[in-house]
Amino acid sequence: MLMNKHLRTIFHVLAVALVIAVAFGLRTRAAEKLPIDYDEDDYLRAGQEFAHLIRTSDWRGFLDTNYRPEHPPLAKIAYGLAFLHLPERALVSDVAITDSPAQYLPPDQLHAARTEASIFGALTAGLVALVNPLGGLMLAIHSFTIKYTSQVMLDGLSALLSLGTVMAYVQYKKKQRTGWMITSAVLLGLTADSKFLHGTIGFAILLDWFFLAKNNKDVKRFFKSALFWGLLSIAVFFAANPFLWPNPIERLQVTLDAVRVTTTNSNVANAGYVAWQQLNWLTMSVPWPQNGAFIFLADTFIALLAVIGFGRLWKKERVFGIWILLEIFILLVWRTKWPQYILIVTAPLALAAGEGILTLWQPVVEWWKKRGSAVPARGPERSEERRALPWLIPGLVAFALLTLIPLVFQFAISLTDFNSSSLRDGLNGGIWRAVWEGLTGQARASGFDISARSNQVNFTGLNTFSPVFQYISGRADGWSILYFNVMWTVLTVLLQCGLGLGAALLLWQKGVRLGKFWQALFILPWAIPELIGAQMWLNIFHGDWGWLRLAAEKFGADSIFGFVSSALHASPSLWLLEFLLPAIWYGFPFMMLAASAGLKTIPQEALDAAAMDGANAWQTFRAIVWPLLTPLIIPALIVRGIFSFNQFYLFQTYYFQDATLATLSYNVFNPNSGYSNVSGGYFAVSAVINILTVVILMIFVTLFNRWSRAGEGVTYA
Amino acid sequence: MHRISLLRQLVTQLALIVVGFFVILPIWGMMRLAFDGSLIGRPTEFRLFPKVWAFEPFLRVLDKPYQSVDFAVILKNSLLVSFGAALIAIILGLSLAYAFARFRFRAQQTGLFSILLTAVLPPVAFMTPLYIIFSILQIRTSLFALILVYAAFAMPFCIWNMRAAFQAVPRELEEAAFLDGAGDFKTFFFITLPLALPSIAVAGLIAFLMAYSEFTLGWLFVDKADNVTLAMAIYAIVTNQYLGGAQPWSYLGSLAIIMSIPVVVIFLIFQRTLLERMMFGSVDN
Repeated sequence: MLMNKHLRTIFHVLAVALVIAVAFGLRTRAAEKLPIDYDEDDYLRAGQEFAHLIRTSDWRGFLDTNYRPEHPPLAKIAYGLAFLHLPERALVSDVAITDSPAQYLPPDQLHAARTEASIFGALTAGLVALVNPLGGLMLAIHSFTIKYTSQVMLDGLSALLSLGTVMAYVQYKKKQRTGWMITSAVLLGLTADSKFLHGTIGFAILLDWFFLAKNNKDVKRFFKSALFWGLLSIAVFFAANPFLWPNPIERLQVTLDAVRVTTTNSNVANAGYVAWQQLNWLTMSVPWPQNGAFIFLADTFIALLAVIGFGRLWKKERVFGIWILLEIFILLVWRTKWPQYILIVTAPLALAAGEGILTLWQPVVEWWKKRGSAVPARGPERSEERRALPWLIPGLVAFALLTLIPLVFQFAISLTDFNSSSLRDGLNGGIWRAVWEGLTGQARASGFDISARSNQVNFTGLNTFSPVFQYISGRADGWSILYFNVMWTVLTVLLQCGLGLGAALLLWQKGVRLGKFWQALFILPWAIPELIGAQMWLNIFHGDWGWLRLAAEKFGADSIFGFVSSALHASPSLWLLEFLLPAIWYGFPFMMLAASAGLKTIPQEALDAAAMDGANAWQTFRAIVWPLLTPLIIPALIVRGIFSFNQFYLFQTYYFQDATLATLSYNVFNPNSGYSNVSGGYFAVSAVINILTVVILMIFVTLFNRWSRAGEGVTYA
Repeated sequence: MHRISLLRQLVTQLALIVVGFFVILPIWGMMRLAFDGSLIGRPTEFRLFPKVWAFEPFLRVLDKPYQSVDFAVILKNSLLVSFGAALIAIILGLSLAYAFARFRFRAQQTGLFSILLTAVLPPVAFMTPLYIIFSILQIRTSLFALILVYAAFAMPFCIWNMRAAFQAVPRELEEAAFLDGAGDFKTFFFITLPLALPSIAVAGLIAFLMAYSEFTLGWLFVDKADNVTLAMAIYAIVTNQYLGGAQPWSYLGSLAIIMSIPVVVIFLIFQRTLLERMMFGSVDN
């Protein structure tokens, strides 16, 4: 047993070392290849200034030096330290914050600063690996984290310090040693000295601490300890921030002014990012061509794994879960949406992803353990199979002809570059020729190039899948079709369920007048074909002749109509409402009917008993109504979710082509019109998108089978 | 539980009115357009009610709604395509549904999973390959191709639902017939099928509605005005308007209403059954 423990420790240490090595390797590789980005010149210059001060022993100079004062000086001083062993270079020129990235920076200093950032990044991955090596690995290969911890940014040091803060707190939680608490407070102060935004993890710690104390009924001591902890971190923050010393109030004012400039400048406005942009960044890999700086572009899968593993992480160590939720909330409300900000959350995200791998791994392990021990289930009788055959064969032939063969054919198309230019060749057997030659090894798989359209069908193998996946998961302009599709599904289903359940509960009350009338009225949107419903809503929201716009013209810009109309058009994100409202409108009747059907099954006695026990309405709902509703509501939610995920007519009517996979696939395919970014008629790309859709819908169907008894095999009723 | 108090009744009715307003608002917008005889193109001023009440748009639409094709032709196309698709989906899927409902065989769960998966695919996922296949067969632009496309789309759903319908037929009835000397086929055609017929009809109805309200696949396949369906005509008017077309918007409104009315009636009558079918059998009977 003891031996085992030692072995485990050795393995753990080895794993951590491996993660650090991988992380450092990937980051230095990126540091060499990445082009110079925004802000790198600024922080390099700040580092140069500090290096000069240190070299000349001008310690007083620290009091007045903080180039780009919107950020505190610590991380910039750290860059200065990296320049000490290098010859002094001319200061990088001071340009406006909105200018394009610098063309040239002194190569030796750039190299030194980027190497320093890479070290911080690798250490962060190593710290995560201490908690869970798989999580460390996830952070090591996370492309956005690599990018911003191998360029001259402030996030490398801040992310390292903030992770240290939380881990010291976790140690304190486990061992109750004051030393760990002090370490955590000191690290928090230093974190805030590196980049303010990262300092917000202090609140995550406080929340977790408070919940813990509340559980232990020890809130009083919590307030005392937390006050000490908070004051100490603030003291450290001031102590390690010489820029504040001469006149804290005035210098904080300088900082705030600078922050205002950086959050309201023209670049921010021009980017036009949606309110949930940070979630786009979090679910995509770095979308820009970066000179081949990244080997893995797997951020989307890391995010997916994090969603899967979140519950497990929460159970293991809640503070990391709170960290994720709190920082995502801050990212959502913070005005500027630059991608480097996501580094405040990628460390715990990677931990959740590590837990996600374990979650997925569990069933495999169980299956492996169970193998052999289980009695093999008795197969169906031969005679019964023979009886089934005359029914199966005609049905299977029809099903195969109409459904399966087209899908197989679709897969064949996805292995080629078939498009409108090669239509003639493709229709004359070119698709089979290309696939046959490719699969038998007669032709090499050619690379995929969206701009080239050969007039002969070529075999591309699976080469099309990766670029298409990159395109739908993250585009250079920051939009992610995949994320929007998923967010759309979740949002609409929740809203539809909310209104549907609400309406059903209203009508379920005893003695509600006109119940039948209301129910019939509410069903209307469900009955109206989606195309026409979309028209009806377009007739309200259309920018030129919609009801809202016409009302705004008639009643003036000061009227409520004018206000709503201009708000919808001025905001980069409020347009979502123009789609959400129709979606709720379509979907809530279905949920209402499902909920009503469920409510009818609730026995009156149960409600009477609850009333006798003096339960209020909410308690009755939580304890009796909701549990009895879920067997019906959850399958209904999944069915509605599938509808939402496949939503097509609504977006097509509004001509919003980048909304869902279905819309994108149709417009990329349609040879008669076209798609905004590439002209239509790219059949192979559309086929690839459809196959990705099939894979995603498999998840939905698996969920449905788990939650509904409808998919069970033969029943002998 | 007691009947609710007057105050609660009032609050409830108020909430219901708000939801009702939300439901009716877009519908009313379309109605207003449909009955406005003054519209020359698109609406140019805000109105709650038509400026000139008129029934004329309806008559015009019932005459020649799209590119001087008779309404009768378009309606005929719509009905032909929708009935054809539903019929093909039902007849071709019947035996498979029965096999899955009554027998046990290898790979049955995999088969069920595939049927359910194909039932939830978006129409677009079938469109790509069928477009190419039908182009190769040189039948792409015919109405028959459109029927097959919609049938292919509706069939997995129909199979799934007919399976449930067959499962609902008591096994004992079949066994009794079997004991009386009826073979599998006889039992199926004289006992099981007649009993399951109402549910099968509902599956067919849903297949019909799918085809009836589909338009984008239609426009991809069909290129002759004579082969246009109702839904396609509406979409054509819309795109035409986007391109600066000169038809009054009242045509769009009235066509939308004409097209919706039968569907709405069907939904109001069969709401409970349709809900069960559309939840793939998650609702208990």
